[in-house]
Amino acid sequence: MLKIDHLKKNYNSFSLDCSLEVLPGCVTGLIGQNGAGKSTTFKAILGLISNDGGSVTLLGKDLGAINTKDKEKLGVVLSNSGFSGHLTIKDTIPILSHLFHHFDKDFFLEQAKKFGLPLSKEIKEFSTGMKAKLKVLVAISHGAKLLILDEPTAGLDVIARDELLGILRDFMERDENHAILISSHISSDLETLCDDLYMIHEGEIVFHEDTDVLLSDYALLKVTDEQFLSLDKQYVQRYKRESYGYRCLTNQRQYFVENYPKIAIEK
Amino acid sequence: MTGLLIKDFKLLRIQKTFFLLIVFISVAQLAFSDDPTFVVGYMSFVMTLFTLSSISYDEFDNGNAFLFSLPITRRGYVREKYVFGIILGGGSWALSSIAVAISQLVKSNALTIDLFVAVFVILPLIIIVLAIMLPFQLKFGGEKGRIAIIGTVGIIFILCFLIAKIAQASNIDFIAFLNNLPTLGIGTLLFIVFILSTLLLLLSYKISVAIMNKKEF
Repeated sequence: MLKIDHLKKNYNSFSLDCSLEVLPGCVTGLIGQNGAGKSTTFKAILGLISNDGGSVTLLGKDLGAINTKDKEKLGVVLSNSGFSGHLTIKDTIPILSHLFHHFDKDFFLEQAKKFGLPLSKEIKEFSTGMKAKLKVLVAISHGAKLLILDEPTAGLDVIARDELLGILRDFMERDENHAILISSHISSDLETLCDDLYMIHEGEIVFHEDTDVLLSDYALLKVTDEQFLSLDKQYVQRYKRESYGYRCLTNQRQYFVENYPKIAIEK
Repeated sequence: MTGLLIKDFKLLRIQKTFFLLIVFISVAQLAFSDDPTFVVGYMSFVMTLFTLSSISYDEFDNGNAFLFSLPITRRGYVREKYVFGIILGGGSWALSSIAVAISQLVKSNALTIDLFVAVFVILPLIIIVLAIMLPFQLKFGGEKGRIAIIGTVGIIFILCFLIAKIAQASNIDFIAFLNNLPTLGIGTLLFIVFILSTLLLLLSYKISVAIMNKKEF
């Protein structure tokens, strides 16, 4: 569906070098702090910014060969951009029907009603949750095969977040070849939805793992200085000094559960 | 392109109070003024300028990023803005011309050749305004675009002044040249100006496409 190979983008104080892959039928999460390079990666995938190196293969094509027909197969949510706030949902219907050949007006209206989105109110008057739902609704209403969602849950309360994640699960159930690339800086959003997770930090992918493995095998060990000294470090991937001693990340949780029954292990 | 045109026409609705004001001023002019062509120029230029507003609306709140993630191309976007400008400028020109003709007939005034010339000369002027303004607006955006346009007009004035000075110094007689122009016939002259302005618009379109291709959102 999507393959990024050493995609590079250089700004004065920031450099991106990102590689990741989204497979058909999979939800892939991209997690990172604000400013880590998530949005830059998304913009580069969508051709909104030029690349300084590397390659992007989207829907089996090189990014440069993507045409408007291919773009119809993408559903896009950008965190800081959307339809003009002066438009209403009613206004967007003829716009979307002319831009997307497979725009499903009935589905769009039905879902808008379900989410309680007013049709004749200007979008700028919407609450953050309503705006977020509208963005996702637009992305899933035209027969997209791949959703590219940059921070779709940003600024939402827990209930609205769950509702939105529910919409995405429905999208995945509709076709086994559907796929989603989703970013967030809230890891709990992603661990319930994603099949695999990438972590981006200062423009580079520092971590990639299947969510199942991450949840079953990874753990945080909280140890005192003495415990740390006696700890078998071969399964410790990273550690950090804390006030109580050390915090260690491992991908062999079971090993520590069995061999170090006294240390605190957090999932 | 139709989708984008619909978007721009929907966004025009924001300015509806302003439109009513323009129509009111135009009707008042038609009713009370002796110079009916003012209405054609006024309506056409003001409406043409709304094309620039539509670019500002697209840019507002980083809206372009989302817009260009939709199935449109940068070239398609530029083409739509030119078509939108022509529809607005040309449409308001045609409507106001008809309004002028009707008002003249109502007032029992004759539709003179001079009136036709005065109305038709506005059309290439609208095209020239579009050709100059659109690349500036696309390159610099709303606020900076206006400053850039003012700067360019200033430079054009200085250039014209310099050319005139050089011509004077080299004894080239522009006045004689201009005096000979009417021998071409006013119809031919208007036609030439129209063709030249259209060529300028095509060149402007090419420049705008190049500007948009370089933009990052």
